[in-house]
Amino acid sequence: MDFSSVLSGFAVAFEWQNILFCLLGVTVGMLIGVLPGLGPAATIAILLPITYNLEPTAAVIMLAGIFYGAQYGGTITSVLLKLPGEASTVVTALDGHALARQGQAGPALGIAAIASFIGGTASIILLSFIAPALAGVALAFGPAEYTVLALIGIFLVGTLGNGSIIKSAAAAAAGLLLATVGLDPLLGTPRFTFGTDQLADGIDFTIVAMGLFGVGEILYNLEHRDRPQTAVPSFGRAIPGRLHWLKSRLAILRGSVTGFILGILPGGGATMASLVAYAVEKRTAKDPSRFGKGAIEGVAGPESANNAAATSSFIPLLTLGIPANATMAVLFGALMLQGITPGPGLMTDHPDVFWGVVNSMYLGNLLLLVLSIPLIGLFVRMLKVRPGILAPITVVITMIGTYSIRNNAFDMLLVIGLGLLGYGMRKLGFEPGPFVLAFVLGSLLEASFRRSMRIFGGDVSEFVQRPVSGTLVAILVLTVVVVPLLRKVRTRQTENAEQAGVTAD
Amino acid sequence: MVDGEPEAAHGEESEAPRAGGRVQSVIAGAIPVLLGAVAAWLSFGLNIGSLTEPGPGLWPLIVAGLLVASGIGIIAVTARTRRDTEAFTRGTVAVLAAAGGLAVYASLYEIVGFEVPTVLLLFAWLRLLSRESWLMSAILAVAVTAVAYALFIIGLNVPLPHLIAF
Repeated sequence: MDFSSVLSGFAVAFEWQNILFCLLGVTVGMLIGVLPGLGPAATIAILLPITYNLEPTAAVIMLAGIFYGAQYGGTITSVLLKLPGEASTVVTALDGHALARQGQAGPALGIAAIASFIGGTASIILLSFIAPALAGVALAFGPAEYTVLALIGIFLVGTLGNGSIIKSAAAAAAGLLLATVGLDPLLGTPRFTFGTDQLADGIDFTIVAMGLFGVGEILYNLEHRDRPQTAVPSFGRAIPGRLHWLKSRLAILRGSVTGFILGILPGGGATMASLVAYAVEKRTAKDPSRFGKGAIEGVAGPESANNAAATSSFIPLLTLGIPANATMAVLFGALMLQGITPGPGLMTDHPDVFWGVVNSMYLGNLLLLVLSIPLIGLFVRMLKVRPGILAPITVVITMIGTYSIRNNAFDMLLVIGLGLLGYGMRKLGFEPGPFVLAFVLGSLLEASFRRSMRIFGGDVSEFVQRPVSGTLVAILVLTVVVVPLLRKVRTRQTENAEQAGVTAD
Repeated sequence: MVDGEPEAAHGEESEAPRAGGRVQSVIAGAIPVLLGAVAAWLSFGLNIGSLTEPGPGLWPLIVAGLLVASGIGIIAVTARTRRDTEAFTRGTVAVLAAAGGLAVYASLYEIVGFEVPTVLLLFAWLRLLSRESWLMSAILAVAVTAVAYALFIIGLNVPLPHLIAF
């Protein structure tokens, strides 16, 4: 590891405007984490056009802050109201809300904040050591390796989501198809443009993300808009006692490790990590029957895990250029907009961006720890703003943002159409995540595949015969075996959560 | 201490979406098949080339094949009762109305500028879809438009088409 670039990354992270954007990002993240409905992927997508004029490092620092900040915020409503703001905090509601009903909401939130901080920070440290090594390996990758790698990414995101595997495959295929609209990447032949110039450059990634995640989510929530107001229990001081800390410190440690490992896996992400961490805690506990009735480990484990995973899911994006989940796909788009290609070259070509963003996460996690405790009361009050008022305002911001990309009303119609597509997909049981990810990776996958076929002289078996791509193919096959096992664990955990009456948005 | 009996989340039952019927599940598979078929037909119109020398049509053709295959898979799996769709409700009308309203909004943008359509869209959405009061809808519609004007046109210098100039 090159220490001088790590240190200069700190200098970048602590420039005053970057501190400001970090603060802005984590606050917005916490806020949308509290509000059920709008997830981090949608929020980042909606804010993409605003980041056009920002400096790349500041833009990514802010957007990354939204992502990990949302993990903190989602906890608050899980514990207090049993209404998880984010999918990754569903499992926290089990024991967190039980504690709240025993009048221990304050300590539960305090432990959750500390666990999140430790999980996040541990994950940044591990990232700093592992990312350079991984990028070093990836520098030797050729088109064949990238073909297999992109396939692994799409496959894992598809299978680790919530939908059925076959439907995710269909969604991913549709995303790949949409990515072919525009000029052929190697020959320049127009494809599927239906004769209009509007589609000749292809469809901008921002449009797809804003349509499927932004407008799609708003339309979907419109159908279930009568959310009853719930009374907020008092939570006292969000400071845990010594006993709570002693009980949960090992859970935090285990959760951090679990979260870090699952976060690196494409498609794993924070939701998966929190569920597995909860299962681990229940398995290792002396008296598993306490779980669901207010065991503090059931808060500490998942909370450290979802933050660790949120951080480590940056690794595949920043070192291989393969986004690990839907939010990372949007961040991939954000980097591309700034003219920076995420991948193994990022660390050497733009060390300021890489280490600036990574090191800003230390600061972001610290800000979240300091802010989350005093701001809990304020955020809970924000919940009283009716979703019916927020929705049209969000739509207007999305529309203005869309127009500003190319000063083009056609793009606005495209976003609305993709919004309807996102709504229809969710009604029919398709997840938008694999679609958007496949769209992002589409041109990389196609170009690498076609280049490999030329190099191989049309022989597909070369993918297996070359040592590096062969290894990656083996990993792909291995995941086909491992993933169903992970799904089983998740399904069981989700059923437990549902039995306890918790449903995520 | 309160007992640990599972407590139903507040009012979630009435909100929980109902699963769609078998017809809807079959439609979920039919759409990818149809989309894939059309894409395959269009791909043949482009040059397919060969595996050694792939033309512009080869990749879309592969993807179209994947779409058709997964669509058939969905229909096959659905036959064994997989309930992961959501029934369309009366709320669907509101969704379509919202999308239609947005389309009108987008088409007015370049003709009359962003101020009037934005006020109208916000007012219609707040009053008709969110059921806010007349007064609340009117005040919010004008206020949000004014803030958007200040933020995007004056603050961020976004070149939005607008009537009012300073």
